[in-house]
Amino acid sequence: MRYPFPVGKSDFIQGDEAIARAAILAGCRFYAGYPITPASEIFEAMALYMPLVDGVSIQMEDEIASIAAIIGASWAGAKAMTATSGPGFSLMMENLGYAIMTETPIVVVDVQRGGPSTGQPTLAAQGDIMQAIWGTHGDHMLIVLSPSTVQEAFDFTIRAFNLAEKYRTPVVLLTDAEIAHMRERVYIPSPEEIELVERKLPASEEEAKLPFGDPHGDGVPPMPIFGRGYRTYVTGLTHDERGRPRTVDAEVHEKLITRIFRKILDHKDEIISYEEFMLDDADVAIVSTGIVSRSAIRAVKILRERGVKAGMVKINTIWPFDFDYIEQLAERVGKIYVPEMNLGQLYHLVKEGANGKAEVELIAKIGGEVHTPMEIVERVVG
Amino acid sequence: MMQIRLAGIGGQGVVLAGVILGEAAAIEGLNVLQTQDYSSASRGGHSIADVIISKEPIYDVMVTRADVLVALHQLGYDTVKDELREDGLLIIDTDLVKPDREYVGAPFTRIAEETTGLALTVNMVALGYLVAKTGVVKKESVEEAIRRRVPKGTEEINIKAFMAGYEEGLK
Amino acid sequence: MMYMKSAYEIRDKYLRKDMLPTIFCPGCGIGSVLQFTLRAIDDLGLNQDEIVWVSGIGCSSRVPGFVNFDGLHTTHGRALAFATGIKLTNPDLKIIAFMGDGDAAAIGGNHFIHAIRRNLDVTVILINNFTYGMTGGQVAPTALKGLRGTTAPYGQFENPFDIAGLAVAAGANYVARWSVFNYLQGINSIKKALSKEGFTLVEFLSPCPISFGRRNRMKTAPELLRWYQKITVPLAKAKKMPPEELEGKIVIGEFADRDRPGLVREYEAYKKRAKKMMGWEE
Repeated sequence: MRYPFPVGKSDFIQGDEAIARAAILAGCRFYAGYPITPASEIFEAMALYMPLVDGVSIQMEDEIASIAAIIGASWAGAKAMTATSGPGFSLMMENLGYAIMTETPIVVVDVQRGGPSTGQPTLAAQGDIMQAIWGTHGDHMLIVLSPSTVQEAFDFTIRAFNLAEKYRTPVVLLTDAEIAHMRERVYIPSPEEIELVERKLPASEEEAKLPFGDPHGDGVPPMPIFGRGYRTYVTGLTHDERGRPRTVDAEVHEKLITRIFRKILDHKDEIISYEEFMLDDADVAIVSTGIVSRSAIRAVKILRERGVKAGMVKINTIWPFDFDYIEQLAERVGKIYVPEMNLGQLYHLVKEGANGKAEVELIAKIGGEVHTPMEIVERVVG
Repeated sequence: MMQIRLAGIGGQGVVLAGVILGEAAAIEGLNVLQTQDYSSASRGGHSIADVIISKEPIYDVMVTRADVLVALHQLGYDTVKDELREDGLLIIDTDLVKPDREYVGAPFTRIAEETTGLALTVNMVALGYLVAKTGVVKKESVEEAIRRRVPKGTEEINIKAFMAGYEEGLK
Repeated sequence: MMYMKSAYEIRDKYLRKDMLPTIFCPGCGIGSVLQFTLRAIDDLGLNQDEIVWVSGIGCSSRVPGFVNFDGLHTTHGRALAFATGIKLTNPDLKIIAFMGDGDAAAIGGNHFIHAIRRNLDVTVILINNFTYGMTGGQVAPTALKGLRGTTAPYGQFENPFDIAGLAVAAGANYVARWSVFNYLQGINSIKKALSKEGFTLVEFLSPCPISFGRRNRMKTAPELLRWYQKITVPLAKAKKMPPEELEGKIVIGEFADRDRPGLVREYEAYKKRAKKMMGWEE
């Protein structure tokens, strides 16, 4: 297989470009999108690469159609992705819910910019955390990942595809305008260095008849791809294991929705990822995600130089969130600071996790600039 | 770690110079981060490129205290001069920037015009001067980076401008 | 006169028995149009496993649930956007989109015109009953002036969409409109539509006595069919009529039959061009 970019070596590229290359290497062969700052570079890279690798890249009429097209592509057997920013992400909420309800593996990239509404198109923010988790209506479960470097933008994109395939679920990659446009040295592995996960396909006629069942007890039904003779019916209505609409049966609804929760929450140890820095003896912890984590790590180093026993956790998986871990952390430290580029979103998750065992303080910043390390240090030392 | 900021106005190729410097560092296997900031006017507004080069992992997302500031225009200089460390190195185009502190430099734009006939190769002249003065990357790495990043057919002219700046920096 | 198989034979071959009965009300025309579509598929000898039915939301959109094919019952108005992903991923699949007038022309209007502009390879079977049947009889964007619905109880005051006309203007390869009464023309049109590349549309005026007819003094399907007879004008005749005489009428017939390359063929050529431009292929 020939790739339209160098593999097995390092390159100096922007975050958006890293996401596109990772998608190609993850086996993504269908991309649909709509132009939007600061995510357009992902689309432009996919437009350049896809025809060369026999994939599809298509510009749809809006973001609603973009996510719809990738869901269709996924049912036809392709790994599929779209990328957008806040205004487009808002439009995608309808069909994000459809993808959750129909258990369709897709990857949706949201390159966060200042909002609400058109807001600050070119500047970074972290204001879509709660939207990524709770933006679509009804009870639902999905996976949200958050990179902090261009290398992580690459690595987490591969992981997003693997998790989507493994758990037959949409995965949101929540990045931001800063990572989108910064260039860093990134290692682009060759295909044999990458471990890919493919969706479960029906192993028998019996399994194929239960496209929304649980034949393996892991909550993840095999996916009967269209065109392979299974005659699968897929609907966004509440449906039974065979896919038949059962819209007024409470038991069927509860069984379906709790399984969609369970298939992710039962495997949260595998899905959840975070990294600790200098936490062993810490009595102050900083919890952050995405781009802000970089400043938080530097802040910890400065605090250590000043004799403050500080440590930090970088949250890689925003959802499902590891509330239990935060509670244990809260038991170890007296205080937790949450710097984030919004007026308090991750903060609420951390506060719920801390469960009163440590004081949790928000270090909010909006307007487009990442916290400087000193802005965090000064809040911690008071 | 070295924090380098390049400042000028739109059209001077400041961002491309930053990208090429970053690419050169990446070629050498160094950790590197490059970001940019332009005012909304694509021509004539200020244009800033940040490059941070380090053997250690880089956590910064922008230059906070520059070790080196390269200023190609008064507007760019005025916008960012306060972010240069007190003992930092200021490199200027001596025809276009009137600084209020110690500096080194040369008339980069004039050198560009004399060497290649094109004022817009000023970015490569300044880059050559910066590399000669700081030794942050090898000149061979920059040559390779130029070949990768400039439009096809303009490699030699850009390298020529880079070398002119490099020689000037060695003086 | 063509030979017609019995309706039971068609039913047994193509419907999911475990999904019956359908949700459709007595006198509803969707079942008739579904039968026309299945007969067309049967007559053409198409492979059941190589057809995917897509739909949005509404009464007509429930059809893919009753037929024994792969089916994607999606969100309101979006069926054609989903279809774009299916078709481009697996061009061997034939796509049938079963849509309603509100679904295609109101909430899905943008997807509809862009799918046609791209000449997406899909056959749209469109049920036009002037109303939102499932939600209880609100006016649809096709409702003729003066027709009543629960959201225009004093009679529609807006202009109606001519969906077939819209499709012709946007570039569809095949466009026809009939009422369910014109069953032979209907079946033949669907056969033609299914045989062609690119975007094809067959629109049917279809009775909805419960949600629409009751509010417009036509409580039964026969009354609605008689009304269709009155308001429809065959294309050949319409061409000779002055515009003022066509006011309040609906023209039926074949409006477009052309052979522009479909999206799949265009994208295949685009891939070749890309590889050539990048020097990957001669």
